[in-house]
Amino acid sequence: METYIVLPAYNEGKVIKKLIESIKKEGYRNIIVVDDGSTDNTFSEAESTGVVAISHLINRGKGAATQTGIDAAKYLDADIIITMDSDGQHNPKDIVKLIKPLEKGECDVTIGSRFLEKSKNMPMSRVIMNRVGNYITAFFFHKLVTDSQSGFRGYSKKAANLVYTYEDRYEFESEMLGEISKHKLSVKEVPIEVIYTEYSLTKYNKQSSFSPQGLFNGIKMLIRFIEKALFK
Amino acid sequence: MVIQIIVTIGIVLLVFPTVYSAFKKKTISLFSLIIWTLFWVGGIVIIWNPSLMGKISGFMGVQRSIDAIVYLAIVFLLYIVFRFRIRLNEMQREITMLTRKLAIKDINKKK
Repeated sequence: METYIVLPAYNEGKVIKKLIESIKKEGYRNIIVVDDGSTDNTFSEAESTGVVAISHLINRGKGAATQTGIDAAKYLDADIIITMDSDGQHNPKDIVKLIKPLEKGECDVTIGSRFLEKSKNMPMSRVIMNRVGNYITAFFFHKLVTDSQSGFRGYSKKAANLVYTYEDRYEFESEMLGEISKHKLSVKEVPIEVIYTEYSLTKYNKQSSFSPQGLFNGIKMLIRFIEKALFK
Repeated sequence: MVIQIIVTIGIVLLVFPTVYSAFKKKTISLFSLIIWTLFWVGGIVIIWNPSLMGKISGFMGVQRSIDAIVYLAIVFLLYIVFRFRIRLNEMQREITMLTRKLAIKDINKKK
């Protein structure tokens, strides 16, 4: 079975190479990096490692880049597609946990959840914020999971062929859950570890951490959901 | 009297040519051309016969005709904003699709 790892990346030039190397070390050769119109050297860094590197000419957001990566993997005839954040917060050692259930045919989609097992270093505020996010997502997209904003997911060929998302930015993860529920795909959540490095915490998009930025993103997301309900 | 003349000249010299040239360039349909022309002609008629607006507002059940104008304008503007919002969403989506197609085309070349 051909497994492809999709890495949507925006200005991750400093860490992308290291991440690709550590994924390769786990035995995965098929890696697709989607450079989302970065202004740094993300693309050349990724390309220098010999993986499939493609780029958006302009920045379209993490959601758009992830869907492009899924499309690229489908084009390359992938049997299993794993999507992963490229800032290094996901552990490549966890990829196997996402692949196994798909290989065995236990489910169509696997979601790596940060909240499935009680984490020692997870602040209470973050746990609560996440739970609120899950319920809001469930309200709009009819799918309740323990980590609705996780970007660490696995798709079987069947799932990848059925789902398609149009949300360009953070709402993507939630919209994908909507697609999963629409097509009645079976989901299995697996516990994953999150590596909070200084780098990943200072990056702009950490809605997972309790920061004014995270809260702000949450509110923005809620507004977008309402907009979506009204205008689409 | 002066304001009526200024507004009328403004509509005739600025609005009508804009609407007509948009039709010529096919950015609006014949139907839109007719609707917009009627709309602005209606505007001119009301400017010269303010009592007409009184009748319309009476029909709407609003006492002051200026209130009726404000209500109608708000509804109209909200509709326009709604249309813009939808169009904007469509354009965002099209741009993403285009960007995606161009990115995937690159794999073709590399293969």
